[in-house]
Amino acid sequence: MTAVVLDGIVLGLQFGLLGVGLTLVYGLGGVLNLAHGQLAVLGAIAVWLAIGTGLPVLPAVVVGLAAIGLLGFLLDTTLMRPVYARRGDERVLLGLLLTLGVAFIIDGLLNWRYPIASLNISIGGDPISILGVRMRTGSLLASTIAIAAAGLLLLFFRGTTLGRGVRSVIQDEEGARLVGINPASVRNLIFALSAVLAGLVAVTRSMTSPVSASAGIDFTILALIVAVVGGLGSILGAFVAGILLGIVNTVSSFYIGQYITTIVLLAAAALTILLRPSGLLGRRK
Amino acid sequence: MRSLVPIALTAAALALVPLWLSDSDFRMGLALEGLLFTAYAIAFNLIFGSTKQLFLCVGALAGVGGYTAAILADRVGLPMLLALVLAAGAAAVTGGLFSWVAVRRSLDVIFTGIITLTFSLAFQNLILGQRNLTGGETGLLVDTGAGTILREPVPAYYVFLGIVVTYLVVFRLLQRSHVGWAFRALRDDEVAAELAGVNVPRYRIYAGLVGSGMLGLAGAFFAFTEGFISASTFSFGHVDIRVLVMVVFGGLGTLLGPVLGATVFSVIDEVLIGVGQLRQVVYGLVVIAFFVGFKHGLVPAIETLVRTIAGRMGARIGTKGD
Repeated sequence: MTAVVLDGIVLGLQFGLLGVGLTLVYGLGGVLNLAHGQLAVLGAIAVWLAIGTGLPVLPAVVVGLAAIGLLGFLLDTTLMRPVYARRGDERVLLGLLLTLGVAFIIDGLLNWRYPIASLNISIGGDPISILGVRMRTGSLLASTIAIAAAGLLLLFFRGTTLGRGVRSVIQDEEGARLVGINPASVRNLIFALSAVLAGLVAVTRSMTSPVSASAGIDFTILALIVAVVGGLGSILGAFVAGILLGIVNTVSSFYIGQYITTIVLLAAAALTILLRPSGLLGRRK
Repeated sequence: MRSLVPIALTAAALALVPLWLSDSDFRMGLALEGLLFTAYAIAFNLIFGSTKQLFLCVGALAGVGGYTAAILADRVGLPMLLALVLAAGAAAVTGGLFSWVAVRRSLDVIFTGIITLTFSLAFQNLILGQRNLTGGETGLLVDTGAGTILREPVPAYYVFLGIVVTYLVVFRLLQRSHVGWAFRALRDDEVAAELAGVNVPRYRIYAGLVGSGMLGLAGAFFAFTEGFISASTFSFGHVDIRVLVMVVFGGLGTLLGPVLGATVFSVIDEVLIGVGQLRQVVYGLVVIAFFVGFKHGLVPAIETLVRTIAGRMGARIGTKGD
């Protein structure tokens, strides 16, 4: 049982890291990025290509993530501009449709150019014993990276001036503008950060199981569910939701079986939304 | 009666399609799928376009209809007509339930979307998991309907044309009735509608029930005409994303928007078969280029254009008359 729960936490940390990027972009600009999973996969393929040129893993990861971050920045400065020019429901809908278009393009290009590519980073070393359970080093490293990323994010948003600036835009765009913060550049920064986080998920995920070029839509849907269950806009919420859903996932797949597990997972997510429409840690608007 | 003229014209245009496609079974199949998606799009438009409930379970509700009809007719041995009615009923009840829940918990667009999305995925897994009943990944061969004209390309096309026309008439009649008045009121300003005495929750649930019933019926008919259904026939990626794009492309809440959107994208699909794997890329580019350019979809854009031209011509005639 402990082993199953620990596995669930490992998986859940990945879920959380996936949801956090989506939640940030939504909190800031009201855009639910339907290409989030595709950006993650694109990051993985970028790393895979970098490794293919002969780079060692660590520099390859840095190069891949930098590339995906740059792409995120470019997307936000170009394609997302008409979205931010709208208000309310129109902005939400246009954001959904344009990012959906981006998802199509990324999926199509990957399917065309690298249909069978998959990133699989193997982390060597003997299993390490935690709470009497022998854990693979790959899982542990992936979890450590996820926890470190969560910690850094919370530190950034709570502890630094820039981070507080971002939060001020999330709470009140007009107010932030009045005190001299430019919401557009904050959005640029966060979209790029969100893309890097997406790429990071694909990289950590590939330490335990291969990430294939076609996994984009699965990542996107998972990110959506985690972000909504956690409360859109809440960083901590995304991680709490991710870990809970990760545990539900591994426990039910261990005791019940795969198909029913997905249904249990989805039912748990739906139930949370119905009981707490603002999410686990979200604020009521 | 005048309000039914656009529907009659659309029906006449679509009825001519087999004249130049009937020599190819493959193309007739594509045309039939185009009509199936038109039917989906009209139903989705009734739910989302009229009452702002984002149902991301179009495929799943059609699947409830398709599998219910196939299983009731093949396994239980019910007559086809009864199976169709029960299939539509099952989908209507399922969709109505979502509307009821969304209304009770006052979920907004995004949350309704996510709840229905989870249902889509759960349904998909249910179909894959219940192998004995649904055939799992291999899919389900449907015997009912075999040997009848339902399996011939041209008659099947006209069956679906009948469905599309019926749906359009239902949509228009609803629009013209007090229900449509309430729909418009709650679409424009929900709070004002509530204050003016419109029972917003009740009309949302109506739309959910009727629209979902339409989806279920279309899915059920498809099971009988195609003779084969599988999880991917009704999957989120195959159905919902396309329907959403079609309806928003054509014009949310308009009568003919879904028809136009479904037709345009069916033609794009057909044209792009040649480019193979790059099809999806082109699809994405079209979606982006279009939505950056047009705000409210094609039908309203055309209406504005026609009005402008008519206005100018009117002005010219006016000056000549002086």
